[in-house]
Parts: sequence; structure tokens; C-alpha cells
Amino acid sequence: MAEIMPKLVRIERRESDFHLTYDNEQEFSITYHDLRHACPCANCSPLRNEDETSLTLRSQVESFKEHKPSVNPVGHYALNFIWQNGCSNGIFRFERIWALANHRDPDNGKQYVHGAW
Amino acid sequence: MAESPITTHDPQNDASGPVQPSPQEQKKMEQNYAQMKRKMSMEEIGRKIKHKIMVLSGKGGVGKSTVSTGLAISLAQQGYKVGILDIDITGPNIPKMMGLDDHRLHVEEGRIHPAKGHLGVKVISMAFLLDDPDTPVVWRGPIKLGAIQQFIGDVEWGDLDYLIIDFPPGTSDEPLTVTQSLPNIDGMVIVTTPQAVALLDSRKSITFAESLKVPVIGVIENMSGYTINGVITANSSIEIAGPGGKTITSTSDENGNFSVTLDIFKRGGGKSTAEDFGVPFLGALPFDPGFVRGGDDGVHRIISDPEGASSIAFAEVVKAIQAQISDEASAPLEII
Repeated sequence: MAEIMPKLVRIERRESDFHLTYDNEQEFSITYHDLRHACPCANCSPLRNEDETSLTLRSQVESFKEHKPSVNPVGHYALNFIWQNGCSNGIFRFERIWALANHRDPDNGKQYVHGAW
Repeated sequence: MAESPITTHDPQNDASGPVQPSPQEQKKMEQNYAQMKRKMSMEEIGRKIKHKIMVLSGKGGVGKSTVSTGLAISLAQQGYKVGILDIDITGPNIPKMMGLDDHRLHVEEGRIHPAKGHLGVKVISMAFLLDDPDTPVVWRGPIKLGAIQQFIGDVEWGDLDYLIIDFPPGTSDEPLTVTQSLPNIDGMVIVTTPQAVALLDSRKSITFAESLKVPVIGVIENMSGYTINGVITANSSIEIAGPGGKTITSTSDENGNFSVTLDIFKRGGGKSTAEDFGVPFLGALPFDPGFVRGGDDGVHRIISDPEGASSIAFAEVVKAIQAQISDEASAPLEII
């Protein structure tokens, strides 16, 4: 039976991570570093295709001083996070956030090909 | 001593009066004033129109304009005040579909008054400005941009519940201009047909929407199946050779009526693409030859057959769109 994703009802920005609360009362944390490394934009996504470039992206993300981003809803299906430094282009669908919250690969093991997702 | 090229003007001792601007300066001032007025008008329009929906497609020929007019008419059938803005400057088809072929726009005190089509739907299109429908519009980007901004800012739309904005196919600068000019757009509807070639381009449209930071309301699959209805001997079977050599069997009812749906352009691609991208699937619209005749005759299928399968399908799609854009649809996300 396909997993039914609950609705995200609360997102709290803490010092170095988000605290998420869903409508089924499940709670999760996603670190800012994990979220930024999983940025789905067309610049960041190809870097995760290879281990070497993925590690470089991770190092870059971890070099940024942690701070609370602005969080902007995009329609009814995603969130956009605005950081003081680095990339703020990523539009994170709720499905992506849910995967990150459950420590799953948000790219589902798929290589990024421009325009393919 | 050579005469100085610099002239000075002393207003207190000059009997000739204030300096008049040159014709070029005057024209520039008038353009700047018009631009400022247009900007203010756009903001006001943004407030007076409750919902603004962009309709795009990755490629041409998927029936985007048919879908745009269908959405507008379906909404008007429900009693809403609706407008259509036909941004396809090079191929404006909306007026013909709305039975407004020979209409000319009325301009009063610098304000453009839209034409009124079926069920009172207000329409603005480049087609209204062409004396000869065979005249191509060959404009460079800045002129197109200016025309689009005029279509938004200089039109007397009045209070509307919905403005449907129909774009040319593909990812071009027209959607960019509209998103930069018209505030508070609800989102984009992407129209596709089920086959892989169209889906490939529709995926680009979804990514394009993301790059513009415009929400994707959802995907509509058009030309999704062609249904044949017929009469044979009661309670008997009929076999039809479908697309791809597949045999489709149907059994007639006690009156001999049977129905078979042929997936001419395959089926389900729009839904799976929507699922891949995590955006809503708004519904499938059937392949209906009535749209072809209606588009050519200027009587939309929904008008000519309001109880038919196509009208019902459009009503379902409209319901899905309304569910997405209504304030109640949004999850009450608390951001701390």
C-alpha cells in the first residue's frame, strides 16, 4: 500500500535545524546542512550526481555560518528557503521535505538530468 | 572672442516666458507618464481581479487555447465574472473560438474596453488589432513586452473573479513579462497531451514555473481518449481494432448501445508526469471532434453541448483548479 504523506502543519526554525510537526502528530528534525545539501535547483542538483562533487557541495554548505532562513510557501505544494549566503533557489516540495525528515534520499537514487524533474 | 556654446537662461529677466520642452522631450515625458499610470493601473488590476491563472504548454498543438476558452466558459457557466487575456501575439486564436472574429476594440479616454464573448466572458487579444488576419506580427522583444504591459495595464477589465491568461507554447519571455507585471498570480496550469513527446516539453514547463517562482496549480491532460458511441444488436459484443493493433472489445446494453474509448495519443502520461513532479493532476479532457468544429465556427463545444462529456470533464477540471487555489485549500502551515 502506497505511503500516505501527512500534512506539514508547523515548521520551527531552530539554531541549526528545522523542527517539523505533521497533522498526524509525528515530529521530525532536518538540519540546515542536510536541507541545503539536498537543494533541488538546477545548479545544486547535478552536483549530487557524483560522490566527489556531492562532497564538495556538502563542504560548501557546511562552511556557511548557520542562521535561520526565511521560509516562503510556494503555492500549496512547496517551500522556498531564503538564506543570507549560498543558494536560495531551491523549491522544496513537501514530498522532498518528508523524504528528508525520514532520512531517505530525496532524489530517490535518480540522477539529475536538466528538465527531467 | 568666440561665442560660448553654453547659453544661460535668467527667468527673472527673460521676457520670452518658460522654456518649452522640445518635441522629443515632450514625447519622453508623455511616455514616462503613461508608464507610471500603467504601473499604477496594473497594481489596481491586481487587486480587482480575484484569481489570475496562467495557461501554458510545452509544445504547440496540445489544445491550450481550447482549454483556456473552455476553462473561462465553464467558470462563466457557474456565474463567475471571467476574462481571457490572449498573450499569443503571433498566433492569437481566442477571438475566433469565442465567436469574436470581426470584433474591433473600443478605446475610450485611453482605456481599452475588452470584447464580450460567450456568457459575457471579456476578451482581449492581439487579433483585435489586426486589420487582416493574414498579417503576421513580427515584433522584437521590447515591443512585445510593451504590448503585453498595455494589455494588462490599459485594459478596463473591471471586477473579475477569474482572469485566464493564454500564452504561446513553450518557455518564452511572455510569461516572464506577465509575472513581473501582474501581481498575485495564483499559478500556472500546464496543458499536455498523453504522448511522450508532449510530456517531455510539459516537464520543461513545470520546471520553468519553478524558475519564475510561480506555483503550479496542476497538469491537464488534453485529447485523452476518443470515445466512439454506436448501436448494434442488443447484448452483443463488438471488437474494434484500436491504436497499436490492440483489439478492444465492448458489449452492448439491452438497447444495443455500446461505447469504446480509443487512446489515440496514449493515456495517463499527464497524470504520471504530475506525480513525478509532485504537482496536482487536474484531470483529463477527452479528444472531441466537436472542439475542432466549435473552434472553427466560433461556438465552443461547452456552449453547443453543455451536457456532453467534454462539458462535464471541463467542469471537473475547473472544480480541481478551484480546490487548489481557494484559501481553504492551503494547509494551515505555521512558520516559526
